[in-house]
Amino acid sequence: MTQLIAVEFFKLRKRMMTWVVALLLVGLVVLLYSILWSVSGRVTTFGHDARFTGEELRRALFLQTSVPFSLSIVGSFGIILAVVLAAGAVGSEYSWGTVRLMATASRGRVQLMAAKLIVVCGLVIAGALLGVAVGLVYSSIITFTSGGSNFDFVTGAFIRDQLESCARTLFVLAPYVTMAFAAAVVGRSTLAGVGSAIGFAFMEPLINGLMRVAGSPWEDIPRFLINANVQVVLLQNSLPDVLPHFGPSRRELADRHLNSPEVAALILGLYVVVFVALAFYAYRKRDITAS
Amino acid sequence: MSITRTPEGGEVLRLEGLWKRYGRVTAVADLSLRVLAGQVFSFLGPNGSGKSTTVGMILGLVRPTKGRAIAFGHDMALNPWPTLKRIGAVVETPAFYPYLSGYDNLRALAIMLDEVPATRIDEVLDLVGLRDRGRDPYKAYSLGMKQRLGIASTLLRDPDLVILDEPTNGLDPAGTAEVRQLIRRLAEEGRAVFLCSHLLHEVQAVSDRVGIVKRGRLIAEGAVEELLGRGHYLRLRTEDNGALARALDAIPWVSHVEYLDGSVRAAVPPARAAELNKALASQGIYLSELAPWETDLESVFLELTGEASQL
Repeated sequence: MTQLIAVEFFKLRKRMMTWVVALLLVGLVVLLYSILWSVSGRVTTFGHDARFTGEELRRALFLQTSVPFSLSIVGSFGIILAVVLAAGAVGSEYSWGTVRLMATASRGRVQLMAAKLIVVCGLVIAGALLGVAVGLVYSSIITFTSGGSNFDFVTGAFIRDQLESCARTLFVLAPYVTMAFAAAVVGRSTLAGVGSAIGFAFMEPLINGLMRVAGSPWEDIPRFLINANVQVVLLQNSLPDVLPHFGPSRRELADRHLNSPEVAALILGLYVVVFVALAFYAYRKRDITAS
Repeated sequence: MSITRTPEGGEVLRLEGLWKRYGRVTAVADLSLRVLAGQVFSFLGPNGSGKSTTVGMILGLVRPTKGRAIAFGHDMALNPWPTLKRIGAVVETPAFYPYLSGYDNLRALAIMLDEVPATRIDEVLDLVGLRDRGRDPYKAYSLGMKQRLGIASTLLRDPDLVILDEPTNGLDPAGTAEVRQLIRRLAEEGRAVFLCSHLLHEVQAVSDRVGIVKRGRLIAEGAVEELLGRGHYLRLRTEDNGALARALDAIPWVSHVEYLDGSVRAAVPPARAAELNKALASQGIYLSELAPWETDLESVFLELTGEASQL
């Protein structure tokens, strides 16, 4: 198993796509911070009922909220990158025909899939941490250049809260990552994985909206789908209202009949189990042929 | 690194009544054969005849509908992993990671195989003449170089059974000759080589045994000499080939009489050539030519696959 993980890591490390994905993530965090920093210096008030000031926005970009804000970027835009990585890791093996080479050189189909999934998850975690690290660096620059160099907020509770935010964000990525992985195995292509996971991520909120409008019995269905539960879990991250939310706002979510965070986490966990089981079952049971 | 080899002539691979069906399509039908250590077994068949499916079943990639593929005594459908250590294979065309160099592709494989020392990568690259281009990306390789890398990958773990699918495809004449020599050398070193090909002159040059498959069914199997000797045709010529053909038709132990290239070709048991000449002379037919009809594997192959299509 160690060898399989080593070789999967070796392949992904050598692959340009991995570095492009990482660069895109870094670029995204830098871009969003830059826009907000720039805006905070030019606007007096903004938002619904002009309830936020530019100064409040700048303070929200300080180190204190850097982690949840970086994680909100990772948890929204990062999904696309994580999905591309997961689907590409398995789908490309089919398109290149290397799936047979790997299958005959490995020590078992289950082990091979497990190694792939472990390395993909490892890289997604590394990517999320990279996003957070870049956010921290940029936030440090903003903090120190704006005279906010005060570290009184760093307490044990604060650090625990940041770590929990990280865990929550990575957890909500898991259903999409495993969906992309499973779809790439079942569809024997990267496109199948990327298409299904990104399609689901973008279409589900729209369909959920329609279902809520349609009333009973449709309105209850979104509670059992992925996106609504992802929003419930992400809501637990302490992101100030002044910063942009890449999804429904706290107020919008409060109007919906959503699951408790525990139930939401359970449902998302079940999705992960189902997708992983599907990927393993399909790869183990089917003949191995190139796409 | 090397496991004790199967003694020369010992059974390395046995296919027992192997079937593979995809819905209504039968890819492989009741295929049985044996491959022995120290031999090159060539598996011939037109495109779509089930060669790659058979190789897939041998490697445990494709599950047989019925029957068994047994390599080194292990049923490859049940637990192929320990046995795969002893097999080096290229299925269909060589497939590697395009963004990795030839060297890194072999390195990735070596990491997976665990027991391969790093020096072995250079050794096999040297063996197939790719040492100078080993650091170039695979995507920049010509078809011939890809073939060479494919062969190198099969040799990485010093296998007992080497499975090659059209290994000289894309190679120049010098490269083809090198690969032929390499195949023979692998067999002489005690390995079994299972060679899928439709380049029949190539097969004839390197093979000990040949299996011919059509529409998934094995239609002939034997030593190359046996297959070349099928029918034992003679070339006969006289001033009146029409009279010759009529006389041959009347002889019960002569068959398959036909006009070819200004001669008459007939299937005659080799021991009865003199008797035939005497019988014709007694009828006033004096032969100006009586010689073995030189045949090659290609003729045998075409004849057999042609026959099969009429069955």
